[in-house]
Amino acid sequence: MSDDIQSTDGSEGPGPPKLFNGIGASPGIAIGRSYRYEKTAYQANERVIAREDVERELARLDDATRLSERDLHKIASVARGQLGTESANLFEAQALMLHDPEFGAAVRRHIVEDLWAADYAAQTVMERHRERLQRSGNPYLRERAHDMADVQFRLIRHLQRGQILSRIDEKAIVVAESLTAADLILFSRRNLLGCVMDHGAQTAHVSIMARALGIPAIVGLQGAAAQIPNGSSIILDALAGIVIVDPDEEQLSKYRAKRERYERMLREQRASATLPAATIDGCRISLMANLELEEEVAHLKWFGAEGVGLFRTELLFMSDTGIPDETGQFACYARIVEQTRPMVTTFRLMDLGGDKIRLTGPSERNPDLGWRGIRVLLEREDLLRPQLRALLRVSTKGPIRILLPMVTELEELRRLKRIMGDTIQEMKEEGIGVSEDIPVGVMIEVPAAALQAAHFAREADFMSIGTNDLTQYVLAVDRSNELVAHQFNEKHPAVLRLVAKAIKAGVEAKKSVAVCGELAAQVPAIPILIGFGLREFSASPIYLPEMKRVIRGVTTAECEELARSCLEREDATGVSNTLTDWFERHKELQSPFLSNAD
Amino acid sequence: MIVRAAAKYRADFFIEKDRYQINGKSIIGVMTLAAEQGAQLRLVFTGDDAKAAADDMVALFDSGFGEEL
Repeated sequence: MSDDIQSTDGSEGPGPPKLFNGIGASPGIAIGRSYRYEKTAYQANERVIAREDVERELARLDDATRLSERDLHKIASVARGQLGTESANLFEAQALMLHDPEFGAAVRRHIVEDLWAADYAAQTVMERHRERLQRSGNPYLRERAHDMADVQFRLIRHLQRGQILSRIDEKAIVVAESLTAADLILFSRRNLLGCVMDHGAQTAHVSIMARALGIPAIVGLQGAAAQIPNGSSIILDALAGIVIVDPDEEQLSKYRAKRERYERMLREQRASATLPAATIDGCRISLMANLELEEEVAHLKWFGAEGVGLFRTELLFMSDTGIPDETGQFACYARIVEQTRPMVTTFRLMDLGGDKIRLTGPSERNPDLGWRGIRVLLEREDLLRPQLRALLRVSTKGPIRILLPMVTELEELRRLKRIMGDTIQEMKEEGIGVSEDIPVGVMIEVPAAALQAAHFAREADFMSIGTNDLTQYVLAVDRSNELVAHQFNEKHPAVLRLVAKAIKAGVEAKKSVAVCGELAAQVPAIPILIGFGLREFSASPIYLPEMKRVIRGVTTAECEELARSCLEREDATGVSNTLTDWFERHKELQSPFLSNAD
Repeated sequence: MIVRAAAKYRADFFIEKDRYQINGKSIIGVMTLAAEQGAQLRLVFTGDDAKAAADDMVALFDSGFGEEL
């Protein structure tokens, strides 16, 4: 790989190298030019277009209007279910504004007659109306000015989307205050080399997405993004969590060499993808993949995955088009299963709400303790049924499992199974083929479910322990809140105890049990989990080769001993010390690059 | 609510207040009209289904809109 970065020792070069520390969220090394992405600026500048571009500009306006409208209808339909008609109507009213004949006509006139760019025209017209409302003595109408601003920003965001993308050079390193997983997908189409952002944590969705897409990422730079000018030469070392701005020649050659070593290691790992995942004493461990994107499926074998342990379906449909109907979902699931079979694919029903996809806007004061996961699905048949039917239809194409998110009560599992039974019956009557035997499992991510894992193990066909959420709930730490994020530690003994309990419950009931959170991918955690009796790990595919290397270097007996001593520690520091000692004695297991140690 | 009801008809629909006329199919127009309770409005319908549109709208005004725009 080449980069066109020269050192800055030249006469007019920028200042001396600057170094920033962050958290490596997706491993890799990138060397390139920075592109600063300001997402808050939905401000349109005065811009005149060529006469021959009028048609194109009008088409752009139509597209952006349609996308904005789709957003709003989606939000409104969800708001109706959760917040009631009144707040849903606010969003419906916003959708009406988009199609307002006065507004549309005025914007078109500015485009056609004044040759204004669509975003500038829309902004000007909307601001004119907003001013009029703001001057009104009626507080209700002044409030509506905010709705208009929402519409304006939404429309401009959609209008500028294409431009933002085309402004990014191929192979840039994006620097931003914060990015969403959706932004990242957008940028990945321009082959971005890496990304750097002020906010975010390793477990945030954007980080998961970066790993899924294989894009080196550093998060948690805490204000550094503002100090990295556009077009700077930068080195991003996401293995160490370092960003170097304006590196000198020595640093450039050092990091080019490190990148080379890292890429060689990746090639070696790929070569080992076909080796079995088993401990020294021959205990087989199955390594499954956590996926969220259709594009990832093709690489499964490459990373040595033996199946899909967790397909997060909510992200499949995160694009602008919204959640497709049964037919659309079926087509998507079928494409996936046709590639993964004969391996099993575990589809987790859409986990909406929480930090994933906000259904309700800011109105839930505590969304992670709110309306999310199975709680949403059981109340929203319009979301549940198309997905369930699409999955049931796909069950004849290859082995699938269905996993329920955010389960707290046994009754939630029972209700879902009843709905599924009815749906199967109904489909049979319609003459649609459905596999007879589709395992239904539960996520163990709420402490209550972990404590009652033995009950769940009796009624569920399998269990999957989601350590990210479990940790957040057990330790009462919001992992995306930088003030307390340092207290988020999946290897806290309290978390480990619950994980051990759930694994034991699964083993005793002879039900398959997996860990699918980030914990499963942490090198130091692997021997502990094996020691707890875990035989199925599910993680981002990129981690699987490294996990296999560790698994192939341990014995179950030493893992059990380590697990016992970790459970006895008083706190996370104690666990960390125990692990450090243990890995001191197992130097060969230490990772050359992917140090996930605390 | 007014706007949505008006959109169902082909007929043009205008609301007049103090000689100020707005397009009744425009939510922005209806908003800027800022009709307080008790304001005097004149509704104007033109088009082939104007009669049906007018009847519908009068019923809507009479029902009090359920307090919504």
